[in-house]
Amino acid sequence: MIYVAQAFYSFLSVVGFSVLFNLPRRLIIAASLSGMIGWLLYFYFQSIQTTNFILPAFAGSIAVGLVGEILAAVKKHPATLFIIPGIIPFVPGYGIYYTMLHIVEKDFNSALTTGAESLFIAISIACGIVLATSFVRIIRPNLEKWLTKKAK
Amino acid sequence: MDQYRVKKIIQIATQTGKIMLQNGAETYRVEDTVQRMAESRGLSEVNVFVIPTGIIISATYNDMTISLLERVNPEGIDLECIDRANAFSREFTSTEMTLEAAEERIQDLNSPPRFKKWIRVLSSGMGGGFFVLMFGGTAIEFLIGYLASSLTVLWTEALDNKHLNFFIKNILGGFAAALFGVVFVRFIGIFDLSASINTVIIGPLMTLVPGVSLTNGIRDLISGELLAGSAKIMEALFIAIALAFGVGMVLQFSLKFIS
Repeated sequence: MIYVAQAFYSFLSVVGFSVLFNLPRRLIIAASLSGMIGWLLYFYFQSIQTTNFILPAFAGSIAVGLVGEILAAVKKHPATLFIIPGIIPFVPGYGIYYTMLHIVEKDFNSALTTGAESLFIAISIACGIVLATSFVRIIRPNLEKWLTKKAK
Repeated sequence: MDQYRVKKIIQIATQTGKIMLQNGAETYRVEDTVQRMAESRGLSEVNVFVIPTGIIISATYNDMTISLLERVNPEGIDLECIDRANAFSREFTSTEMTLEAAEERIQDLNSPPRFKKWIRVLSSGMGGGFFVLMFGGTAIEFLIGYLASSLTVLWTEALDNKHLNFFIKNILGGFAAALFGVVFVRFIGIFDLSASINTVIIGPLMTLVPGVSLTNGIRDLISGELLAGSAKIMEALFIAIALAFGVGMVLQFSLKFIS
């Protein structure tokens, strides 16, 4: 049940951010679906394994990257259009904000912890996307062949 | 092809790259687009160097080298612009579009259709509000987050026309986000309802926070664009500092005077 609720929340949240980023209208649903899939994976890995904070973001961003690249091939638009809204739910924006807030409050120990954590989350998201992109680039010729065959 | 036309080709390619870069495209995509556009019209030895604040291009035609430097100011993320510039560059490289027609098309690229203001405000509320729920907020916190995010976006869009320095703009943005949160939380306190300020502020802050530029910066670093990546990460860091300044001011005051 909680997964249904989380899927619903993340979908609508990504729709909101897509409008804020001025995503072309006909792509909003697709981008939000990729964001939803990413967030559900993130949420699942976070709930089974509380000590590891890198794995959830890594798994989520691989999913977003794969879905984004496949959508890019299907819909013939750049993959960034699907990836930027898609990673929004687990991007460590709140973490870097919190780091700076701790520094403003002179709490340097917490600042270092949250700062390192959000830096590594950002690195794992970037790694996940680059991995997915490179993987799709290898299989893309076959994918496009399959798509044109299906279109006929 | 005379010198005038060579210059024009380079200008068209750089302008397209500028539009993509301004609106948040990745560095390698901009470099690739500009290079393809210049090479498709017969220029050789095209070298493009892109950092978040500028594009440098040099190209050779008939033993004559021309280079151009274009200064770029980042404007935020606008995916419609990237999509259109990308489609335009494909058309430019694959068809025999005249340079004059291409210049006219570039003028159109600069003013893409945008959503109506009230749709933008309502959906930014949606973006921020549902974020509060994703982080385990309650229904009342969702409502406050929704209102505060909508108001914050309204406020930052009003600031956009004032051409403020990005640091000042983000201080004001963070200030407004925290202020709306604190005011609403105090307001519902009258009706004996309670909400956590920290959870409520997540919503409006998510519309301001530089998570995407940090991640994009690291993506650039991983793909070997060391200079562009470092610049983006520094930008993200300073936006975060500005936001924390703004929010910190409100939180300090609210601790002292309100509660």
